[in-house]
Amino acid sequence: MEKTANDAMTSLAMEKILDQVRKLPQALEPYREMLLANVVMIGEIPGPTFGEEDRVNFLVQRFTECGLQNCSTDEAGNGLAILPGTSGEKCLLVSAHSDTPFPATIDHTYTVSGGKIRGPGVADDILGLAVLATLPTILEGLGLRFSYDIVLMGATRSLDMGNQSGLRFFLANTDLPLKAGIAVEGASLGRLHFRSMASLGGTISCHVDRKVSQRSAIDVLNQIITRLREIDMPRESNTALILGSISGGASYKVPARNARLKFQLRSDSDEIVREVTGRINRILDEMALQAGVSAHLEVIARTRSGGISSSHPLVVQTRRIMAVLGIEPRYSIYSSIMSGYVEHELPALGVGITNADNVNYEDEFVEIEPIMTGVAQLIGILLAIDGGCCV
Amino acid sequence: MFNIGNWIETNTFHHRQFWDLLRLIREKEKQGLTISLCIPALNEEKTIGKEVVLFKSELQDRYPLLDEIAVIDSGSTDRTREVAADFGADVYLSADILPEMGFKRGKGENLWKAIYQLKGDIIVYVDADIKNIHPRFAYGLVAPLIYRPEIKYVKAFYDRPLALSREIRPSGGGRVTEILVRPLFSLFFPELTAIIQPLSGEYAVRREILERIPFPVGYGVETSHLIDVYQEWGLEAFAQTDLDQRVHRHQPTRDLGKMAFGILRTFLKRLRERGIVGDLPELTANLRQFQVQGDHYEQVIHEIYEEERPPMIEIPAYREKFGIH
Repeated sequence: MEKTANDAMTSLAMEKILDQVRKLPQALEPYREMLLANVVMIGEIPGPTFGEEDRVNFLVQRFTECGLQNCSTDEAGNGLAILPGTSGEKCLLVSAHSDTPFPATIDHTYTVSGGKIRGPGVADDILGLAVLATLPTILEGLGLRFSYDIVLMGATRSLDMGNQSGLRFFLANTDLPLKAGIAVEGASLGRLHFRSMASLGGTISCHVDRKVSQRSAIDVLNQIITRLREIDMPRESNTALILGSISGGASYKVPARNARLKFQLRSDSDEIVREVTGRINRILDEMALQAGVSAHLEVIARTRSGGISSSHPLVVQTRRIMAVLGIEPRYSIYSSIMSGYVEHELPALGVGITNADNVNYEDEFVEIEPIMTGVAQLIGILLAIDGGCCV
Repeated sequence: MFNIGNWIETNTFHHRQFWDLLRLIREKEKQGLTISLCIPALNEEKTIGKEVVLFKSELQDRYPLLDEIAVIDSGSTDRTREVAADFGADVYLSADILPEMGFKRGKGENLWKAIYQLKGDIIVYVDADIKNIHPRFAYGLVAPLIYRPEIKYVKAFYDRPLALSREIRPSGGGRVTEILVRPLFSLFFPELTAIIQPLSGEYAVRREILERIPFPVGYGVETSHLIDVYQEWGLEAFAQTDLDQRVHRHQPTRDLGKMAFGILRTFLKRLRERGIVGDLPELTANLRQFQVQGDHYEQVIHEIYEEERPPMIEIPAYREKFGIH
C-alpha cells in the first residue's frame, strides 16, 4: 500500500519534471554563445592523454569564475568543483573526459561556421567539458536549485593507456556520498549507455632477431592475425575481437624487425574475455617457438562487465526525458566510459549532447543546432535524480 | 629625440599583465568609458562566427568589457553578415553608413566609417581572418588605454620584443614590415621603429584621436596612422601589446607587392605634404608586375589608388551626431 503511494508521488513528480524539460531547449538558447565559446577556448588548448594539465586548469578557472566550491585538481590531475545543493547529504557526479587522442603538436584551431564547430576532439570530449564549464551559469540563470551537491569533474587519463585512471582514482579515493553518476560525451545525441562490457585492450609486439632469422616481423604478425581470426567467438555473449591498428618495419627494402598490432577484445562476459585472452597468450607462445621470433602481449586497458539494468529507474526516466525532447535513442547500451562507475558499483549512465562526424580525426565536427536539446536532456536527468525519481 | 629604449620598457606590454578582467572592468566603469569592438570584414564567413561568439560570450556576457560588437562589411558575397548577425553582432554594410559620403572599397573605409557608426570612447579594431581568435585580442589592447590615461593608441604585436627576451633574436613583423616599412621609418621617423609590428591589423584607439586623423581607404591606413599620430602627439601616445600567436592566411608575395605599393604612396604623400622631401614627381597609381606565359613575359598593371578620407571631425553629420560645435 505504502509502495503504491510512493510510486504515485514519484510518477507525479516525474510528470512535472517532464513538463519542465519540454520547455528547456528554448530557455537554453540565450546560453548558446557561452557554451560555444567554452567549446572553442577549451578545445584550442591541447590535452593529449597524460598531458591534460593546461586544459584542466582552464576548466577549473571556469569553475572558480562561476563561484563553485572546492575548485581544485586532485592527485590524478582531475579538475573538480562542487555546485552545492541544499541538503549537503547526497552527491551526484557529472563527468566528462578531458583528454583527446591528438598530440599537442597538431593544429588545435577550431572553426565555427555552417552550423558546425570543427576541430580536433570537439565531439570526444571537448563539448562534454564545455557543457560542464557552462552548466553552473545555466542552472543559475534558470533559477534551478538542487538538493544534491553536484560534483563536476573533468576526468584525466581516460583514453588508451590512460585506461580511465582519472575517474577510477577519484571514485576509489573520494569520501563524498555519491549516489549516481552521469558521463557526458559530446556525441552522439541519443546515446544512452548504462553498461560496460568486459574488455581487454592490448598490443601484440613481434620481434625477429636478425642474428638468427631473416623473416619479416610483418609475416609473423600476419600469421598471428590468421590464428586470432580462427578463435571461435561465442556469439551469444556479443564477443568481438577488434583489430585496431598495425605498425612495423623501417623501410621497404629490408624485412621488418618489429611489428605491432593494437586490438581490443570485448564481451558481455568477464569469463569469456579471460578465456580468449588465455588463447591469445597460447598462440603467442607457439609463435615464439620459431627460431629468432618473439611475440608478447602488453595489456593497455581492461574493463569488467556490469552496470545497471534497463529497468533501473535512472534508465527508464532518462528514456522518458529523451522521448519528450524528441531524441531518437541509439541502439547500444554498452560503453567503456561506464567502466569506472561499474567497478565502483555506482549507478550511472552516459549520454551524448549532439550529432557529430569524423570523430577522432582532425576534421572532427559537431552540429550546433541540436546542442541545447542535448543540454536539456542532461538537466532533465539532474532534475529527475534530484526529485527522487531515479535513485 | 631617441627615447626608444625607455619607451619599450614603459609602453610595451604582454596580454598576461591584464588577466584580471574584473579589475579592468572596475577601472573602466570608474572612468565611465565605453568601448566598441569593430571587425572590418569582406567574405570572412569561415572565421567571423567564431570571433563574434568568443568576444560576445567572454567580453560582453561573462565580463562586460565591450559595450558593442560591430561588423562593418564591405559587401561580402558569402554569408559573412548573416553568420555574424546570427551570433549576436551588430552588422553594418559600409555603404549604408554616411551614404552621402559615397562608398569606397577598402578596409580603411570601414575603419573610418566605424568612427561615425559606433558609440565607444575607445574603438578596438580586430581583423576578421584570425584563426586563433581569443579574448586577449581585445582586452590586451584596451587595457593600456584604461590603466594609462596618457596612452592614446595601442598596437598589437605577435612576438616577444628584444627587451623581454632571454635570448637575442630578431623580433619583428612580416615581410612588408621588414623590407619596406621599418627601413622607411629608420630613414625618416626613427622612433617609430620601436613599434614592432606597425602593420598589424589589431589596435585600440581613443575616439579623440581617431576623429582627428585622415584615413587612407586601402593598404596605407596603418602606416598613415602611425605617422600622423606620432607627428601630432609623439611616441608617448603609443603603446604596444604582445598577443602571442596570430594565425591567419598567408599572402602570396605578389599581393604583398600591391600592399607595399599602396603603403609607399601613402608614405611619400606624407613626406611631401610635411616638406620632408621636395620635388617628388607626380606619383603614378600603376603598379607593374610581370608574369610568364609560354616563352614570353607579360606585363600586368594594377591600378592602386590610395584615396584618403578626411578626419571624421570635419564631417558635419559626425559633428551633429556627437554634439561637436
